[in-house]
Amino acid sequence: MRRTARALALIGGVFGLLLAGDTAAQAPAKKFIVGFVYVGPKDDYGYNYEHDRGRKAVEAKLGSVEVLTAENIPETAEAERVMEQMIQKGAKLLFPTSYGYLDPAINVGKRHPDVVLMHAGGFKHSANVGTYWGYIYNPMYLAGLAAGKVTKTNTIGFVAAHPIPQTLQNINALTYGARSVNPKIQTRVIYTGEWCNPGKAAEAANALIDLGADVLSQHQDCPRPVVETAAKRNVFSVGYHSADLQKFNAKGWITGAAWNWGPLYVRIVQDVVEGKADRWVNTHTRGGLESGYVALAPFGTAVPRAVQEAVLARRKEIVDGKYVVFQGPMKDNKGTVLLKEGEKPSFDFIEKMSWYTEGVVGDVPR
Amino acid sequence: MLASVLEGGIRAGTPILYATLGEVIAERAGVVNLGVEGAILVGACAGFITTAQTQSPLLGIAAAALAGGVASLVHAFMVVTVRANQIASGLALMFLCLGVTSFVGRPYVAVKINAVAPLAVPGLSDLPVVGRLLFSHDVLVYGAYLLAPLIWLILFYTKWGLALRAVGERQAVAFASGLPTAVVQYAAVVCGGVLAGVAGAHLSLAYARSWVEGMSNGRGFIAVALVIFATWHPLRAVLGAVIFGAVFALQLQIQARGVALSPYFLDMTPYLLTLFGLLLLARTQRHTMPEGLKEVFEGLK
Amino acid sequence: MARLARLADSRLLIPVRLLGLTALAFVAVGVFLLLFGKNPLAAYRAIFAGAFGSTYGLSEVVVRAIPLMLCAAATAIPARIGLLNVGGEGQLHAGAMAATWGALTLGFLPRAALLPGLVALGLLGGAAAALVPAVLRWAAGVNETISTLLLNYVIVLLVEYVVRGPWKDPMSYNWPFTPEFSDSARLGLYWGTRIHAGLWFALVAIALFYFVLRRTRWGYEVRVIGDNPEAAVRAGIPLGRYILLTMCAGGALAGLAGMAEVCAIQSRLRPGISTGFGYTGFLVSWLALHHPLGIVAMAVLLGVLSVGGDQVQISLGLPYATVNIIMALIFFVVLGSRFRAARTA
Repeated sequence: MRRTARALALIGGVFGLLLAGDTAAQAPAKKFIVGFVYVGPKDDYGYNYEHDRGRKAVEAKLGSVEVLTAENIPETAEAERVMEQMIQKGAKLLFPTSYGYLDPAINVGKRHPDVVLMHAGGFKHSANVGTYWGYIYNPMYLAGLAAGKVTKTNTIGFVAAHPIPQTLQNINALTYGARSVNPKIQTRVIYTGEWCNPGKAAEAANALIDLGADVLSQHQDCPRPVVETAAKRNVFSVGYHSADLQKFNAKGWITGAAWNWGPLYVRIVQDVVEGKADRWVNTHTRGGLESGYVALAPFGTAVPRAVQEAVLARRKEIVDGKYVVFQGPMKDNKGTVLLKEGEKPSFDFIEKMSWYTEGVVGDVPR
Repeated sequence: MLASVLEGGIRAGTPILYATLGEVIAERAGVVNLGVEGAILVGACAGFITTAQTQSPLLGIAAAALAGGVASLVHAFMVVTVRANQIASGLALMFLCLGVTSFVGRPYVAVKINAVAPLAVPGLSDLPVVGRLLFSHDVLVYGAYLLAPLIWLILFYTKWGLALRAVGERQAVAFASGLPTAVVQYAAVVCGGVLAGVAGAHLSLAYARSWVEGMSNGRGFIAVALVIFATWHPLRAVLGAVIFGAVFALQLQIQARGVALSPYFLDMTPYLLTLFGLLLLARTQRHTMPEGLKEVFEGLK
Repeated sequence: MARLARLADSRLLIPVRLLGLTALAFVAVGVFLLLFGKNPLAAYRAIFAGAFGSTYGLSEVVVRAIPLMLCAAATAIPARIGLLNVGGEGQLHAGAMAATWGALTLGFLPRAALLPGLVALGLLGGAAAALVPAVLRWAAGVNETISTLLLNYVIVLLVEYVVRGPWKDPMSYNWPFTPEFSDSARLGLYWGTRIHAGLWFALVAIALFYFVLRRTRWGYEVRVIGDNPEAAVRAGIPLGRYILLTMCAGGALAGLAGMAEVCAIQSRLRPGISTGFGYTGFLVSWLALHHPLGIVAMAVLLGVLSVGGDQVQISLGLPYATVNIIMALIFFVVLGSRFRAARTA
């Protein structure tokens, strides 16, 4: 009897406290609210880390803006719920930062025509949904130029997640760049099947090193395990997503491809606040090195001066428009000619890439 | 290629081996702990945080062991004192550890640590094939493979081992003969947790060298299945762990060589193998299973 | 006084005691949060606000409760004869795969013909996934907790394989998912929310479970086995048949949850259709002491926690895992109480 009474008192107390608290905890939002949705943890030193760095830039530069974030949201219809909840809290601009959020974003967009959604990397847009992406394979190509000169075994190992066009762009750019300065280069690829599984990524890295790779690169949301494994086994690293990976393999760091979302995000938020969202919605925004969305990471001590200068020279050519990455001649690894000498790749050629370039061992998994 | 698969097997099998050995101890005393998955996570997290703060991997391993033991203490309490259902309590522990470690570990996902380095054994490491295969790993790997025969010796050739097994076989009789069965079971479960914690330490400090929530990815459950597969015998557990690790490594190695086998089918093989083993050895297992477990596993029979 | 004491132990007050224990778990988590310098009241307010603060939130609680109810039933039915089915996750995916096959190959059929077919496929897929451990248990005594756990991994891996191989969307550029289902393969959504027909499936299933358990001979025999297996065997009740029946019935319901998720929420098959519904459903069943009515209540509670968890993240920056801790503690508290002895309904 006493126990039951105590239980009832406890419940009553808890509810009372809850209700007594100010129910107007959500004051009417006077600030402009922006929401960011991440597929993984903000601290993965990879994909999500860089988007979050962009978010921090927005908060730093635009004090009048309030930001909501949600991390570890799976790429399924569940993402809709999170976006809806952000809209409930007054968000008028959302950044669903992972590819798999495209359909949920479009659905949410249909229900809330007054909200702007900017999706990273998608290939569909709608009246209030726009996409944006940086051609990060550009700095990967540059990294390849450096890797080709630094490697001793002429084998590159690449730890990938899924054989999607963005990953293939990276593998091909790295290989193409490396082979252009060292035609003996071969690239071996392992797909872990998951964006972030540290154990698997580390094991894949080990397997590639066992096969002779002395340069490791990766397209993983959390690239750190691969970089750490490279450090442990004294091989070189080409970073991806973030330049901050350098400290995990200082000795073996060559360079890397990194995102630079900050300036882009600030521009988008400013435009939407000022009512100029038309610039961004219903279109695909893309940019390479010249746009500033992507950058080449700093070089490590392992890269000789001469190589650094050569890479930077080519970088200038790309920024000035004198050289386009993947411009012909381009063959796939079966010998088929894809682009003739001097031919420039089209939007579809890049966005729908489904082949390996010369030098990559094996077939793209189907 | 066989050599690198085996090497990968030893490497990947280490956390599984620790967890399996720990679970063997617990189950030999009559307690099934499905919360091993949680204990591994707790160990991985605690070990990582400690190493991050102190820059000492050794302290990290110690912290991991402690954390794993404490987590399993909860399970021991639920099972031995409160007499709750073992399976349910184990799963509850798993959920709790998953939640707590995700919460506590968040600020540490970004941190760099002074990880456990590979340790060469003077003389042995330079042997032609065997050197690279067996002696180029880190201290935790060596520890696991030394631990297995040690546990075997203790279980079957010492009086403590006898007491443990007695409690697992016939708890009532053991109690009547004066053994403090509750203490023995607590000790066994906590021991199992300590080893699971070390498994976690290997994961986060030596193998992946980072912390991500949920990073144990089912290794704890594999350990529980392996215990049955190994018929509760520590030495056979070594075999099981290496096989598991090898298949895990094989799947990735095969890909790198351009062989077009689906990695997902390959990934399935350890689980299917275990299931198959369970089926084949079912008869033997029923004979070798510690009697006290029969009630847990067979419930209605 | 003694009569009041007996009353306190009576079945009527069990839900009240359960609530009290739940509150205890909340207090425990509150202490945990305080240790980390976070305000527990703000966290709880966020959870309740997320779930109850809007019609959208309420509807999402229902959306989440649907698969939880079905997966809880998957655990509850075999639990009645003492079997521990932890395979809800795998059985859900198996049902989803079967329904996907139907939607992709028979998508041209009109809705009236296709949907019942997909329901049947979902049930069959889940039942098939549960049949294997059931047979292994019946014929070889292989413990079903371990076999269902292992099968979970196998089946989920199978899903990963099919969405990248035979069933991959040719227009997806190697992203792992199937083509979108045709309109006739989709379960309707109600009232502008994401609540779908799966709700009726779940409620009917629970009601059937209750009815069969209390009012039919099968249910009677199941209860006898659960209370005293030896007496049941001696009374001639065919144990083996019930092992198979209960496991398959449970598996079928989990499979139905899978079908509902792909046909109503996701509109295609992809990895990640379930965020641990099988395991959470197991928890729900245990919290409800495997009682059909309790399952509905507990599924709603855990639905509230799930939906609230997102809000906790968005509003307070606490990790979603906070609600996992709450769920686990409630589980521990209930497990540890004297409820386990009292078998209800």
